[in-house]
Amino acid sequence: MLNVWLLKIAEWIGATWTSVALHESFYMYGWIESIHVITLTISLGMLIVIDLRMLGLWLTSVPASTIAQRLDRPMLIGFSIMVVTGVLLYVGIPIRTTQSLWFRIKMILLVAAFINAWLFRKHMQRSVGSWDTAAVPPRRTRVAAALSLTLWAAVVFCGRFIAYDWFDCGQDNPPFIDWAAGCVAGEDVG
Amino acid sequence: MSLLHYFEALEASPIGVFVKDKAATFAIIEAVHLVALALLGAAVLSADLRLLNVVLRDVPSNTVTDQAHRWFKLALLMLVITGFFMLAGVATKCYHNPFYWTKMIALGIGIVFVFAIRAPLLRKDHAQLNPWTLKLMALASMTIWFVVAASGRWIGFSG
Repeated sequence: MLNVWLLKIAEWIGATWTSVALHESFYMYGWIESIHVITLTISLGMLIVIDLRMLGLWLTSVPASTIAQRLDRPMLIGFSIMVVTGVLLYVGIPIRTTQSLWFRIKMILLVAAFINAWLFRKHMQRSVGSWDTAAVPPRRTRVAAALSLTLWAAVVFCGRFIAYDWFDCGQDNPPFIDWAAGCVAGEDVG
Repeated sequence: MSLLHYFEALEASPIGVFVKDKAATFAIIEAVHLVALALLGAAVLSADLRLLNVVLRDVPSNTVTDQAHRWFKLALLMLVITGFFMLAGVATKCYHNPFYWTKMIALGIGIVFVFAIRAPLLRKDHAQLNPWTLKLMALASMTIWFVVAASGRWIGFSG
């Protein structure tokens, strides 16, 4: 049922003027995708500096809270650009993306990464006073940072894999894959 | 042997076949390439934005750039290795692709710039250097790596 609704919404988006324009433009889609990819250097770039500091591997002579606070804004600017361009990429190809296994895994990983970041922020506010200047932060901090890096690397992998048609609906995929990708029987839209 | 022959030989080599044989091989290498790009962004932007006084203003710029350079070298190594494997899979296509050559020229300039000019200069005490030298160098560095990344992305669109 959920998949039918998602498909209906995607079909509605796909029929809008914006979606058609994005999809049919010769350069626009490529530009948006390039901005999405290159902005990785800002969003994940700043995230990597923060997480490697929390792992005790980068800028260890600087208090951890200083790194986290000073790089927070550029990181969030980067993520804002990622969200805007990401939404546009979805709007340009809504139906296929809705039924993309990799897109679905990516969205789940994004939620997981967000929850991890939120819990980490609370953990940090509570306890950073006791380990702020330590070159190597306590274990719990390091685990959260390693988890963050792993989740984001997985997000990149899934994002890149969306472009491939391995598990597109309407192919001879195992039922489990079709279920996970949300293929709707009788509506094989590529 | 002409240059094209080397590209053809690379594509026919075991590495080329390994990358080309299964779609997943190329895709996984591409994804590692992108993760390494994020690490390159971490190293380049943290140092250059510090030199431009945009971020980490209360941390000595020598500290920021020294540490960034170590991670830059690791990112560059990862990018060159994964990039070489990607090239092996589609070498003849790249030979005829203007964006591939744009990227290689920009990459060559970038490597010379970093190791012959930028790194030696940044090893000195920044307080003794003209602030404008540092700022212009940061702008040049970000521009070069942006061109390398952007022309790289465009190779895939124009095959």
